[in-house]
Parts: sequence; structure tokens; C-alpha cells
Amino acid sequence: MRDASTDQGPAAAVAFPRVRRRGQGELEAQVLAVLRTAAGPVTAGWVQQQLDGGLAYTTVMTILSRLHAKNAVSRSRTGRSYHWLAASDAAGLAALRMRRVLDTQADRDAVLASFVSALLPEDEELLRALLDSATDGSEA
Amino acid sequence: MGVFVFLPLVLPLTALPVARLAEQHLHPRTAARLLTAIAAVMAASCAISLCLLFVVGTAHLAGNPLPDTWSDPEVREAVPFHRTVGSAAIVALLVVVAACARTLRRHLRVRVHSREALRGLPGGPGVAVLPDERPYAYALPGAPGRVVVSTGMLAGLTPQEQRVLLAHERAHLTHHHHRYLLATQLAACVNPCLRPLRQAVAYSTERWADEEAAQRVGDRRLTARAVARAALISGPPAAGPRTAGLPAFAAPGPVPRRVAALLAPGPHHSGWPPVHSRTGLATMVAAAGTAASAMSSLNAAVALLLLLKAATPL
Repeated sequence: MRDASTDQGPAAAVAFPRVRRRGQGELEAQVLAVLRTAAGPVTAGWVQQQLDGGLAYTTVMTILSRLHAKNAVSRSRTGRSYHWLAASDAAGLAALRMRRVLDTQADRDAVLASFVSALLPEDEELLRALLDSATDGSEA
Repeated sequence: MGVFVFLPLVLPLTALPVARLAEQHLHPRTAARLLTAIAAVMAASCAISLCLLFVVGTAHLAGNPLPDTWSDPEVREAVPFHRTVGSAAIVALLVVVAACARTLRRHLRVRVHSREALRGLPGGPGVAVLPDERPYAYALPGAPGRVVVSTGMLAGLTPQEQRVLLAHERAHLTHHHHRYLLATQLAACVNPCLRPLRQAVAYSTERWADEEAAQRVGDRRLTARAVARAALISGPPAAGPRTAGLPAFAAPGPVPRRVAALLAPGPHHSGWPPVHSRTGLATMVAAAGTAASAMSSLNAAVALLLLLKAATPL
């Protein structure tokens, strides 16, 4: 019943425009939220049932695989299908995605004002001395 | 138009000493605003000059869409070195346009991607705390802006120091510091001589946010500690190629300078420095250079427009 092949008909056609409109991030967060409510590893079909958005099974599978690629969920093979387990919550997922932005975009520092920029090799020593003086001063 | 058209291309050479003096002696807020304005005007003048030379340069190319009369001998006579300089200007303008487009695209891409990364995160605007052991803290501009900070960063700081960090990042957002950074980045694309201004503005905005944070928490020492500790937990220094080989000549990086500035008494808040001081002099020179740059490109633009208007039969 919840086989991938049975859901590929009109249901999938209806579901896909919805997917576009809601955006990847939101769907991933939704799926993750559902997985978090589960007591243990669950099947993709269970996730699909819990989501009341009428998403196609294949869509759920796609999202789960994407989350898996991001290490946001773990899966274990049970018989012919996988059981899924949330590895992190929405914040964890956001952290993973943010890390990817920070990793892949070398020029992020030009755009995002970071609290501290990278230290030069000889800065560390100097900074420790300054920190010591700042700490001593406040305690004295 | 004569040689005046070249003046805006050369005047940005004054950017280096101006940037140095301003970032050392002016209040960070004044420095950021002044240097950004100088960079913007100088870059605009440069762009106008390049466009003028571009018109002159393309006029003699066969098959150009410009009116034929623009390449009359009389027009060429009035424009010095039209052939070589004009051709060089074509190349330069294309490079400038490409560089600006690239900078803009990167800027938007980083912003869109980081916004995308935070989508679905509850809490709406404000501070987004991400569970990540890697320490980082960013101000993500936008409407509304957001502060992104990792648990790794927060864990390394005391609660008071965390307040400093948040106040610092909020200051970036409130004062739209990303606009200053983008403006000077684009300016540096137009004329590489304006690069020192970009670095000086980046530093000044950090100092500006530091001062705001210090005022907010009411403790300069605490602010200095927060900056220093955050920098130290942000990991060992990267083996930067910038100072490799010449450690004796290497000036301290921006972070130690920020900490040292916070440990020193606060900058005085008077808007403009007295004219007779070194800073005042630098400010005056910068203003004069910028004005000269703007005037000469305007002069050249008007001269060429009049010339071409006279040459175009209407």
C-alpha cells in the first residue's frame, strides 16, 4: 500500500508543486521534527503518515536521503527497507547547513561580519599577554 | 578634457596614507563613514573617467554603434592619446564590470545561502544559536538581521562575555555595517588602489561595534577580554602567507589591535578632529583629494559631452 510504485500516480503530481512552494529547508525541518517524535527508528512510511501535508512517499524518501547525506539522520537496514532515526533537531540541521556555507564559501568573511577574524601567527602570543593584563586589571 | 580625465584614476593612490591615519586617529564611526564616502566618490569618479575613455576608445573602431561623427578628426584632436588609452580603457572597463558583478554575486550568494541554512529554525529574528562545537559568531544582514552564534563559541565565554559578543554583533546589524563593507569592496574592484580603504573600513566597523558593545555592557576591559578569548578559542592561527618570512616587519593583526584599543581609554566622540592635528590634516587632504577627483571627472565628462554634442548633427 505504501509502496513507492503505488504513490507515483496523481498523488505525486499533486505533491510536487507543494514541495517547490514550501522550500527544501522547511520540508527537511518538518520531516526531522516528525522523526524526533518517534520513540525509536521508524520507517519512511510512518514518517509519511505523520506528516499531514499529503507528501508522496518518494518525496519523503528523497528528503530522508538528503538528511542522511547531511548526517542529520541515521538509518539501519531492516529486511528490505530502512529504518530512520533523527540524529539532530532543526537547530542541528541548521548548524549543518550553516557549516557548509562557512566551509564552501571562502569569501564569507567579506560578507558576514565575524566576531573575530583569523589570527596571524604571531598574534596569539600578543593576545595572551593582552588577555592577562585585562584579567589582572579587573581582579586587582 | 585633456589630462584631467586621468586624474581620478591616479588620485586613489592617496588612499593608503589616508586609510592608515584615519583608522589610527579617528573615532571608528567617523573613520568608517569618512573612508567609505571617500572610496565611493573616488570609485565613481574613476568609473566615469573610464567610461569617457571607453567612448573615445571605441569611436575609432569600425562597426561601433556610436555615431560616425564622433570619430571625426576634430574630436580625436581634442582627446589626447585616443587610440592607445581608449583601447586600454575598453579592457579596463570590462575588467571592472566583471569584478563588480562577481563581488555582488558572491555577496548575495553568501547571504542567500546562510539565510537558507537558518530556514525552518524556530525563534524568528534575533539570535540563532546553532549546536556546533566549532566556535563562530556572525552577523547575518537582512530584514530582519540575525545573529548566528555556535554553542562552541558560547561555551568558551562567560555569560558577561557572551553579552559583549551579542552586543557587538547587534551593533553590526543596527548600523548596517555590511553596506560599508560592500561599498568599499566594489570600490576596490573599480580601482585596486582603493584596497587599503577596504581593509581600513573592515577594521573600523569592527572597532565601531566593539565600542558600541563596550558602551552597552559598560566595561571596556570585559569587552577586551571577550574579544581576546573569542579569538583564542577560534582556533590556532592559520599559517598565513601574509607575514611568512618577515615576522619582524609584520604589524599585529586586527584582533590584538582591537583588544589593545579597548584596553586604552575610549576614543573621544567629537565628530571632526582639529585641523592643526595630524589627523585633521589627513582628513583635509583626503577630502581635498576626493573633491579634486570628483571635480576632474565631472570636468572631463562635461567637456566630452559638449564636444560630442557639437559633433553630432541633430
